[in-house]
Amino acid sequence: MADRSPHDPLAGIAFDRVPPAGAYGVTGEPGIVVSTAEEPFIALVAARNGFGASVAERLGRAFGGPGLDRPHAGFGSGSTVVGIGPGRFLVLSRAEADLPGTLRAVLGTEAAITGQSDAFVLFDLSGARVPDLLAKGAPVDLDPRVFPVGDAATTLVAHIGATLWRSGETGWRVLVARSFEASFTRFLLGAGAEYGLRLEGRG
Amino acid sequence: MSRLNRNRLEAGGLIDRARPLDFVFDGHRYHGYAGDTLASALLANGVRLVGRSFKYHRPRGIFSAGAEEPNALVELRADARREPNSRATVTELFDGLEATSQNRWPSLGLDLLSLNRFLAPFLGAGFYYKTFMWPAAFWEKLYEPVIRRAAGLGRAAREADPDHYEKATAFCDVLVIGAGPAGLMAALAAGRSGARVILADEDFLPGGRLNTMAGEVHGQPAAAFAAHVAAELASLPNVRLMTRTTVFGVYDGGTYGALERVADHLAVPAPFQPRQRLWRIVARRALLAAGATERPIVFGGNDRPGVMLAGAVGTYVQRHAVLPGRHVALFANNDGAWREMLDAAATGANVETVVDVRPNVAPELVEAARARGIRVFTEARVIATQGRTLRSFDVLSPGGRERLAADTLAVSGGWSPCVHLTCHHGGKPAWNEALAAFVPGATPPGLAVAGAANGTFGLGAALREGAGKGAEAAGALGFPVPPLDVPQVEDAPFALTPFWHVGESRGPAFVDLQNDVTAKDVGIAHAEGFRSVEHLKRYTTLGMATDQGRTSNVTGLAIMASLTGASIPETGTTIFRPPYSPVALGALAGHHRGKDFRPVRLTPTHEWARAQGAVFVETGAWLRAQYFPRKGERDWLETVSREVKAVRASVGLIDVSTFGKIDLQGPDAGTLLDRVYINTFSTLAVGKARYGVMLREDGFVMDDGTTARVAPEHYVMTTTTANAAKVYQHLEFCLQVLWPELDVSLASVSEQWAQIAIAGPRSRQVLAKIVDTGVDVTNEGLPFMGAVEARVMGGVEARLFRLSFSGELGYEIAVPARSGAALAEALMQAGEEFAITPYGVEALGVMRIEKGHVSGNELSGQTTARDLGLGRMASTKKDYIGRVMASRPGLVDPARPCLAGFRPVNGSSRLRAGAHFLPLGARPETANDEGYMTSVAYSPHLGHWIGLGLIVRGPERIGERVRAYDPVRGEEFEVEICAPGFIDPEGERLRG
Amino acid sequence: MRIPCPYCGARDAHEFAYLGDATLTRPDPAAADAADRFHDYVYLRDNPAGRHQEWWYHANGCRQWLRLTRDTRTHAIEAAEPARRDATQADMPGAAS
Repeated sequence: MADRSPHDPLAGIAFDRVPPAGAYGVTGEPGIVVSTAEEPFIALVAARNGFGASVAERLGRAFGGPGLDRPHAGFGSGSTVVGIGPGRFLVLSRAEADLPGTLRAVLGTEAAITGQSDAFVLFDLSGARVPDLLAKGAPVDLDPRVFPVGDAATTLVAHIGATLWRSGETGWRVLVARSFEASFTRFLLGAGAEYGLRLEGRG
Repeated sequence: MSRLNRNRLEAGGLIDRARPLDFVFDGHRYHGYAGDTLASALLANGVRLVGRSFKYHRPRGIFSAGAEEPNALVELRADARREPNSRATVTELFDGLEATSQNRWPSLGLDLLSLNRFLAPFLGAGFYYKTFMWPAAFWEKLYEPVIRRAAGLGRAAREADPDHYEKATAFCDVLVIGAGPAGLMAALAAGRSGARVILADEDFLPGGRLNTMAGEVHGQPAAAFAAHVAAELASLPNVRLMTRTTVFGVYDGGTYGALERVADHLAVPAPFQPRQRLWRIVARRALLAAGATERPIVFGGNDRPGVMLAGAVGTYVQRHAVLPGRHVALFANNDGAWREMLDAAATGANVETVVDVRPNVAPELVEAARARGIRVFTEARVIATQGRTLRSFDVLSPGGRERLAADTLAVSGGWSPCVHLTCHHGGKPAWNEALAAFVPGATPPGLAVAGAANGTFGLGAALREGAGKGAEAAGALGFPVPPLDVPQVEDAPFALTPFWHVGESRGPAFVDLQNDVTAKDVGIAHAEGFRSVEHLKRYTTLGMATDQGRTSNVTGLAIMASLTGASIPETGTTIFRPPYSPVALGALAGHHRGKDFRPVRLTPTHEWARAQGAVFVETGAWLRAQYFPRKGERDWLETVSREVKAVRASVGLIDVSTFGKIDLQGPDAGTLLDRVYINTFSTLAVGKARYGVMLREDGFVMDDGTTARVAPEHYVMTTTTANAAKVYQHLEFCLQVLWPELDVSLASVSEQWAQIAIAGPRSRQVLAKIVDTGVDVTNEGLPFMGAVEARVMGGVEARLFRLSFSGELGYEIAVPARSGAALAEALMQAGEEFAITPYGVEALGVMRIEKGHVSGNELSGQTTARDLGLGRMASTKKDYIGRVMASRPGLVDPARPCLAGFRPVNGSSRLRAGAHFLPLGARPETANDEGYMTSVAYSPHLGHWIGLGLIVRGPERIGERVRAYDPVRGEEFEVEICAPGFIDPEGERLRG
Repeated sequence: MRIPCPYCGARDAHEFAYLGDATLTRPDPAAADAADRFHDYVYLRDNPAGRHQEWWYHANGCRQWLRLTRDTRTHAIEAAEPARRDATQADMPGAAS
């Protein structure tokens, strides 16, 4: 909008483009660093009725993590398994080009597999102020006392559907549908500018 | 500097004398200190007249020292940041603050509109309803402009607000609302237990009453004790101390609304800092410790600048080291006000007179007053006041009537606990006879009340109650609460005799200062039958506007009670609803304004389309290319017509990724589809697609689209762009609720696949150039409604569908979303020799209307498959959702409006969607209405406008002429009914 | 309002879509009086002041349909159960061990 003041973090940023890499908001050491993470292969695993626990366990064994059918992110070497609904998991992998094929081999007929590598953009958020930033969008209690590393939530962040999980003490991952990439990045800039935010280029 | 603050005490107060601040009020420069409010700084400078009243333009001064302020409303800041109706009493002073008085013209001192005072007899209760009834035309032209000029509050800024606002969510175990004595102790008790605590207070300084009282707590000045506790709370990692934060509403499930004024105390927010932040606080337990509001006594001339609540006088003296005046008198009905005045006198105020309505007042108070040389009147009342700002007042006592000098008259009729938040779930406050006050009744689940808000007025008792209830809240959640050393404070006995209104008053006696409602108005309302408190409120406006009757509610209903003869609890209070105090719309919107109103979705080819010069249009959340203008084209119609012609003559491409796409996998996928579509999909061959229509259970059409079978147990469904989420939800309902035995898994793949349609006689040639070797796209290899998985552009996985929305030979090519732009480029390159043309949703719309395909305008939720000419698709061999209800007589009535095409009889007429059909010569009446035009387009193919519409017995009336009547645009034209298919009705183009 | 989703935990009602009465069963479409029964199923609703069972869809969460038991006067939620209880339980005959 033409009337935005220079104090407005969104002044001068087109609403219909992914904002370019760079430093946004207050100067100095950024409170938040944002990058789009490199984990290019994603598939949805939907367990057939009654196979949720079994599928969870098999995924845990094959890709790491506790293998539980709950909103949780299990980390393996180069892969992450995130529970997004009962018997439903997103598997993210850095190396498995034929992820659906691998999953079929692991799960047999217990689950339906759907390739989703292009459906999402995976944001990596780090820095001391990430919880403050996420509080401005996510209506979920992300306090470390109740949302430890590995916890995951599928929810709305600033009216955009998202699955997020805590990947480390100060590291967070947010998976957002690809068509929302520009709007979600815009939310990050608007909410993070008062802490200083560095948006890194595509790796 | 302090010499300029002529009413400032030499020492004391919670102000920082090392930090002087400049400010401007009505063009005059003044000085104050950090720690001042605008009100305290104005009083320190001797400014007593700060505004004019709402209706009568009477001069008004500062009445309170808090959020309850009815009078001292100012326009804060200037230009785009101007904020009307800012309460000077809660406006934190900052350097460079600019404020302007309101509702006066041309100036505060000389207000010409104060002649309204002489019109007062006409502006009494219900004047809106009485005076301006007739004639109606006068309302807009005369009454309203005059009233708007003469009555009202501040002016909103004309420019858009340059600041930004945001929203946030917080979670805690215990939310404590109010950081006064009870709140501080509650937060300390809960905080030390390890519970996550949020302590919110609307003030910039925690402490509440502790900051405004004389005397000591725990061996230190009360304010120092408050600071000490606040410091400990701030040091606890599990406690969040939120100052400048008003909790304004209690919602369901332990959710509280709060407004944090992040930068209201600054001239301009720091770079990138929001002005205000709207909090949604989710608390497992909450404690309301919001204190109490003092209420006045209603007497003649009680609105004169200089009349002020007694507690406010105490606050200005103790907290701000400001003497509101040089000659102070008190009019009260309770002991607390006496003590307030004695403390003020001890601190340096010149208290000269005390008037008490009670015949008997505690002898020690009377003695203490007399010892200070204060004249005491008991069994007495103030009946009138004099002066532009207060100069003198008249006392009526058993000794007779006497006029006494005073520039400040402190008033106290007792205290009303701030019960508002306890009522937000519909709970009614309960009348406490001993306190003569409403105290909390049933509270919302999880919300307890402590301290003055609970009617616990003694300081010692409030500290103990706060500590106890804080511990209780944390303990109930399983936190181990260590014992807390609560300061011992001895409370003086509470002594008050209810007294509301001086019947012997001379001159107007105001109940509601903000709305200029007098005791007489309450009498008028009563006499005219508006006796329920809710009627009283609407009829007189008592208790409305920014202060919501904080200082007037109880007195108003007490006066009404005395008129009706009912008791106060029988009379009851009006309902308190959120918000507790005003919340700016900007804060409610947060970042979601302008183009950020809601998030937008961009298609995979968005940047590519932009490079092609696309004009975009919002379709739902999506931004889609509407058309692609070229140099020299006069208007959109020329552009769209060029795009349509290019497709029909050669080939064009459009991004259709926005359609909903759902993968269905599992042995029962075909069964599920048979139950949700009116036609059959279980028999569909692998490698084929079929157009399907699904109904709601009530028999009306919900959505349409094509579904392909890509493997024996794997279908891919497409939905309309608008209904993608709704259809997915519907399918999950079928699978989880209706038929949980079906073995089908759903996955939304809308985001995974970019999908581009190519259409036109050359489209096959274009497609052939981008598919990998061995992919057969001949008419035999990929026939009409064929659907295959293939590789394109050298190894990119793809799904190819031979479909057509335009009526031309056409294909849809789906590739992973990240390859979408590359696909568009590849198609452009492959189509270069055919002058391939990108087209937008407008051209798509034109072509589907030419072809007679239904779309969103026809799928209105009020049409059946039969209405749309799709009835024959319905299978008679199976059940499906909506089948039973679709056969209701009303839905199969042959007289229902059905889909037809329309062409203008006069070839040059522009048709209009929304026009209603009438028989020729029939009057435009509902009884003659035969349906309406749903979609229109200019057909470059035919060279005139065409339309689709729903008209009674449409298919039987081909060739008939009717009238299309458009009263909205004031147009009408004659149209001829035709078949809904203006181009290639046999479908040769798309099958060729 | 906060809805205790059995999978996601307590979430704000904004994440959910509301459908209505969860005590109704889709009638047998082959029944002789199917038209009447469907009419009741589609249109007739009790409007109880008090305990009510209703369908809520966790649209912006786990995408489960939940059967909520809610007091319409207070919005207090007594229970939230998944419509398809067995979805996460390997208790079906033939389930893998």
